[in-house]
This record gives sequence, structure tokens and C-alpha cells, in this order.
Amino acid sequence: MTPTPHSAPSESPPRGPLSRRTLLRWGALGGAGIALGPLAACAGPTGAPGPGTLTLGLNRSLVSLDNKLNQFDAAVTVQRAVRQALTRIGPRMRPELVLADRFEMTEPTAWSVRLRDGVCYSDGSPVTVEDVATALRMYGQVTGSFLLGLFPELPTVEPTGERTFRLRTQHPVPVLDRLMANIHITPAAANRPEELQSGLGSGPYQVVKANSGAGEYTLGRNTRYWGTRPRVDTVRVRFVPEESSRVIALRSGEIDVVDTLTPDSADQLTGLPGVTVAETSGVRMCQLFYNFRKPKGHPLADARVREALTYAIDGEALIRDVLTDSAEEAGGVVPLALEGAVLAGEYTYDPRKAKALLASLGASDLRIKIIWESGEFAADTSVMEAVIDMLQAVGVRASLQQFEPGGDILKWRQGRAGDWDVIGNGYGSPTGQALTVLQGMYGGTAEKDRTGDAFMGYIVPRVERALSAAAMEVDTTRRNEQLAAVQRDIWDTWPSLWAFAPKTLLARRDRVHDLRLLTINSYDLSAVRLEG
Amino acid sequence: MTTTVVPAERPSAVTARDLARATATRQQRSARVKLWAGAVCTALVVLPVALAGLLPLPGANEQDLSRRRLPPLSEGHLFGTDQLGRDLLSRVLHGGQVSLSVGILAVLVSGIIGIAAGSAAGFFGGWIDTLVSRFLEAQLALPLLMMLLLVVALFGPSVTVITCVIAVAQWPEVARLTRSLVLVEREKPYVAAARVLGLRGWTVLVRHVIPNVVRPASLVVLLLLAQAVLLESALSFLGAGPQRPFATWGRIISDGQAYLTTSWWLVTLPGLVIALLVVGVNLLGDALRDRTRRRKGA
Repeated sequence: MTPTPHSAPSESPPRGPLSRRTLLRWGALGGAGIALGPLAACAGPTGAPGPGTLTLGLNRSLVSLDNKLNQFDAAVTVQRAVRQALTRIGPRMRPELVLADRFEMTEPTAWSVRLRDGVCYSDGSPVTVEDVATALRMYGQVTGSFLLGLFPELPTVEPTGERTFRLRTQHPVPVLDRLMANIHITPAAANRPEELQSGLGSGPYQVVKANSGAGEYTLGRNTRYWGTRPRVDTVRVRFVPEESSRVIALRSGEIDVVDTLTPDSADQLTGLPGVTVAETSGVRMCQLFYNFRKPKGHPLADARVREALTYAIDGEALIRDVLTDSAEEAGGVVPLALEGAVLAGEYTYDPRKAKALLASLGASDLRIKIIWESGEFAADTSVMEAVIDMLQAVGVRASLQQFEPGGDILKWRQGRAGDWDVIGNGYGSPTGQALTVLQGMYGGTAEKDRTGDAFMGYIVPRVERALSAAAMEVDTTRRNEQLAAVQRDIWDTWPSLWAFAPKTLLARRDRVHDLRLLTINSYDLSAVRLEG
Repeated sequence: MTTTVVPAERPSAVTARDLARATATRQQRSARVKLWAGAVCTALVVLPVALAGLLPLPGANEQDLSRRRLPPLSEGHLFGTDQLGRDLLSRVLHGGQVSLSVGILAVLVSGIIGIAAGSAAGFFGGWIDTLVSRFLEAQLALPLLMMLLLVVALFGPSVTVITCVIAVAQWPEVARLTRSLVLVEREKPYVAAARVLGLRGWTVLVRHVIPNVVRPASLVVLLLLAQAVLLESALSFLGAGPQRPFATWGRIISDGQAYLTTSWWLVTLPGLVIALLVVGVNLLGDALRDRTRRRKGA
């Protein structure tokens, strides 16, 4: 019998120089190193633009370089670099000639126009009178166009020569030269009553590469451009929806220009080395607009209730704290920077008065639903949440409904979907004229509202008549007097719970020069140059 | 007479040190650590969230525009304030109530659907198994977040819709596991005995089989809780969460990301809270699963 040892051997089982476990550990460590090594590259900036390439970061997707339906402020800069109009809105909101070298009112209902000698498209074909006539027809056939609402009527083209024609309207349209800045000219054969996907135009740039689904474009210099040669070889347009991503991309040098900044982003970028923030007063009116499709008897159908609610809103705090002084509280029904705009009234913060008025009008237990689309204006969600807090402070039970871009808010606006009380809305002015904005917002008629085209159901016949009369007034002084009176009349109907005009904010890298930001939140891309 | 006490000697070459270093012992120790760490992390989040109403905190929607974006530990705000001067801690805790409620309700519903469908598929086999298996395979093949966004876009964002959507999205996990557990259970003698006693199929399944598989299946449900909270946060982050002014974790982070470079706490602190909960729940679930396995093995 073999005796059992009384004590186990104290030494560990013999081990080789490299155990299986050690091998696995080293293997895992090596694998992690190999896998994580390439990630180190993420620490540095990627995709930085080349020395001759200007990269723009837009916060909304540029689905087309045509503006028939796609007319947000920042898009105008890129669209006009490819397609041009007869005129454009220049500095100090004055119309400037582009494809036309003459644009004069010869009769109250007729304008004489002459195309500039030698203007041609990027394929070398000349810009013709027929192209202008076709463009006007095509814009007129598009449904749901924001631009169409700015025109009291579309003019017709009467050719008078090879390069000359007359723009004829039934009634006087004294601001036609400004309105025509929005009609982009395309070769007649290529024009359709829809957003054009091709990029053939007469502008300083032509499309080299396009991915309209992703909103990304590469523009190259148009070698056949009829005007001054643009200074930048290539322009890249990128769609960067997230504001924080745009800010980081600008800081890292991946993007050269970001426009339509929120006040907080501008705050983050101000003072950073290599970055400059530019601002101008804006011509966009951002409003919390009442629903004017409420039936008679509803509290909001009463102007006194609408007025009472305005006293609940602390506009000064919203401007100072939420919008960080990057906006001006509305002192009228359109932005005061517009030509023809007047100070029509002012919002007062007096919650006690709001409570007392609501009680006296029997609207103490008012419920309000506020709707808006994300990104409608800068700091939209913060403004909305602050507003419902203010309304709740005077006893109004307010709720919010936020729509994401691409949702069906248009149906709600037109009164074809759910019920709402106040809508957060931004209304731009591509013409720089108070008249066109006033007509678009307050010129609603019962006929227009049958298709949901009266702005939020605002139909006040006396206002509409006064606006129509002003629109046909050829004399500027008399027109402005009429407009001033009608603006005060509109203010007395209390169309908005609160309104403000945001300043236009843009940030650029310091290597970008000669970028002259216009009040209409646009700039001439061909004038921009790069250094370094 | 003197007696010499001879110390009991280990009748094997395995030492106490070897035992302590053995895989089984390490797993046991690690399960204990995981259990405690998981419980502590989960409790650190769940308890304050559950007691948010009792804590001396300002209201989650109480604004003070003059105190915007105060950093943590300033003027009585432990987590600082957000872009509208609201107490961030209060918003995180009240937001947690929404996120956790959605998560818990969603996993309860998905657990019930998953256990019912999976056990029926496993126990009866045949066309029921084919139907359930193909259905869950089809659902697993769909990109989850896209599907959730589509449903929320169709039915509108509300707590009920989001809960149902997450519940429906998560049932395949539970169903697959339950099916495999039931496939093992149905072959055991007690099932045959129940049949011999004259019990009908559904009765055997409900009274005898399901009680035996519900414990391991419920552990998966616990693990899904973390996933449900993350899904709800992702939906809110993408703007498909409950309507404002409901504070949810995803929305707090989404709103805060615009201030990432100047007010780090608006994103970091809610993010840490989510991470703490998810890690805690996962550790807890892991530890409980290990413990169940060990008991079964013993």
C-alpha cells in the first residue's frame, strides 16, 4: 500500500514560461491596441477644406438649387450663385440690377426691361426674353409656393425686341422690381412647374457634384460667367442639421461659414480665435400668432381676450435671457427694418392686468394649445417653454405640441388637421418691403381661405381692402402713409400673443474675407475670397 | 493520559489558495461584487427618482430666467440650472420618473407578451411555433430604432404610444428565451405525469411549466429594462418622445447639447445618471442570472 502523504506539496503546479491564460491576456491586449489605434485619428479634425475650397454648413437641407418651393434664407445665397434673377436685393434693401441692365416703370401697370448684353448660362447659351416669360409661367403653376403669396399678381411678358420686353400687370405693382429678384431664370426648354433638379444657370458657379437627398453640393467656378470672375475655385455646401455639430465643425476648421446661428451658438463662438461672428438686424418676423379660424363665441375670437393674454408675456426677459439680446421685440406687425414699416404699438408685461382682464372677460379658465415646428426660429423650444410658464402664471392652462420638420404642420396651419390656438411662426421678407409681408400675412380673403391660403385664417376685409389699395399706389409717399395706417389697424386686432425680429447671425473662419452679410440673411458668394 | 490533537489534514493536493483562485470561486466572488455594485448603482438612481416629490427640490418646470445655466454646486443647485434657469437635478429626477415608468411598463408588457408567446411556441410546437418563430425573426430583422420612429410618427408621441412601441419591440428577446426553456421543461417527467393525470395542454403549461421558466425569463426582462430606458431616451433625444414640457432624460440631453462647449453639465450629468442606471441594472441582472445558474447546477 502506498502511504498517503500527510501534507500536499506546497509549490504550485509547474507552469511553463507562457500559460494559456497569459497568452489570451496578451492576445486581447494586442487586439484592443490594433482596434483602438485608428480611433486616435478621430481626435484631430477631419475633412478640412482645401486652400481653394469654401465650405458652407447649412442647418436646413437644400433639396434643390431651384427656389420655387425651397426658399429659406440661407438657401438664397447658394441658389443665387447658380441661378440669377433680373434684379436682387442689395445693401440697404435697395433693388440692384443683375441680368437686366434696365428695369423701369414706364406706366403704372408696365415696366420696361432690357436684358444685359452678353448674359449667358454656364453652357454658353444666351439668356433670352422667352426664358423670362417661361420662368414666370412656371412659378405661377407651382402649388403651395411661398413666393407666389408675395405677388399681388404675376406679370406677363410682352417682348419688344431681342433683349427688351415689357412686364405688364392688370393693376399697378409698384414693387415689381423687388419682387422679380425672386424669379430665377432658367433656359425655357429646361424649366418645369416644379423644383428643378438640374443646376443650369447664369450664375458665377455651376454644379459639379450634387446629392440633393443629403443636401450636399459641390460648386465649381463657371468659366463662361458673364460678370466678374468669382474669387473662390470651389464651394462645398453641406447640410449639418445639429446646431452643436455646426459649431464644433466651425471650431475645428471643417466648415468655413455657418449661418442662421442661434443666440447661444453665437455666444459660444464669440471671442474664439480664428472665428468671427457677424450680425445684422433681421427682416424676419417671428410670432406667436393666434388662430383666426376660431368660431364666434370662442374666447380667442375676441380681440380683448387676445390683448389680455399679451400682458402675460414678459418680452423683455425673453429677449434678454432666452434670446440673449440677439432679437428685438416687435414694435409693430412687421420688422421695423423693412421699408414702409412703422411703430404700431408695443407689448407690455403686466400679469396682474392680464389676470384681471381675463377674469372680466369670463376667460379665467382658458386652455391654450401652442404648436410649432422645430427650428422655425432660433431658440424656439426655449421660447415656447418660457411662454407656457408665463401663461400658467396668469392661470391659463397651456400645452405644447412640437412638430418635427417634414411633419404635417402645414395641414394644421391651413385648418385641415387638429385644433390649435397659437402657432410659433417665422415669416421672412425676401423683398425688404413691408408691403409684401403685410399682404402675405394680413391680406387674407374668404376665397383664399377656401384653400387654406389665408395666413392662419386672418381675414379682416377692411384690412385687406386697405392693403390692396396701398399695393396699387404708385406714389411712394402716399403708399407709405396708407401702409402706416393699415399697420396700426392690424395691431389693434391683436394678431400675435408676442412677436420679435431676430437679428441675423453668421459665423465664419478668419480665412474667409469679403463676406458681406445682408439684412435678408444672404450674401454674394462670388465676392467672397479665401486667404491662407 | 495526554492526547495529542493532530490537525485535520486536507486529503488532497488542492490547497486553500488554489480553491480561492479557482474559476468557480472567482465567478462566485465576481457575482457577489456584481450584485452589490449593481444594487448600489441602481439604488443611487432609482431611489432619488422615486422620492423626487419628497425631496426639497424646486419644481422641475419652475423657471427663473435670471439664473440660467448656473454651474453645479452654485446657489443651492447641486446639478446647476439649465437654459431656462430650471434646477437640473429636479429635472433629471422628474424626467427619470417618466423614463423609468415608460421603461418598467414597457418591460412588463413585453415580458408578458414574450413569456406567453414563447411558452406557447415551445410547448405546443407545430404551427404555433412556426408562426411565433417566423414573426419574431421577422421583427428581429427590422432596424429597431427606425421601426420605433415610424410607429411614433404614425400614432403621435405620447407616453402610452411610446410604452407600447418599446414593449412590442422587445418581446422577441423574452419569447426566444422562454421558448428554449420550455422546450427543455416539456420533456421532463413531471409534465408527462401531469398529462397522465389527465390535465389538458394549456393547464399543464400554465400551472406547471410556466412557473418553472418564469424565473430565468424574468431575469432577461430585468436586463431589458436598461435597454428600454435607453430606447426611450433615444426616442426623446430624436424628438419622438412625450410632448413638452415633460422632462425626459433624452430630451434634457438633446436640449443641452447646444450648450456643450459652454455648459458641460447640461449633457454630462444626465448622461452619467443614465449610464449609472444602465450599468447598475445590467450588473444586477448578470449577477442574478449567475446565481440562478449556480443553484441549478448545485
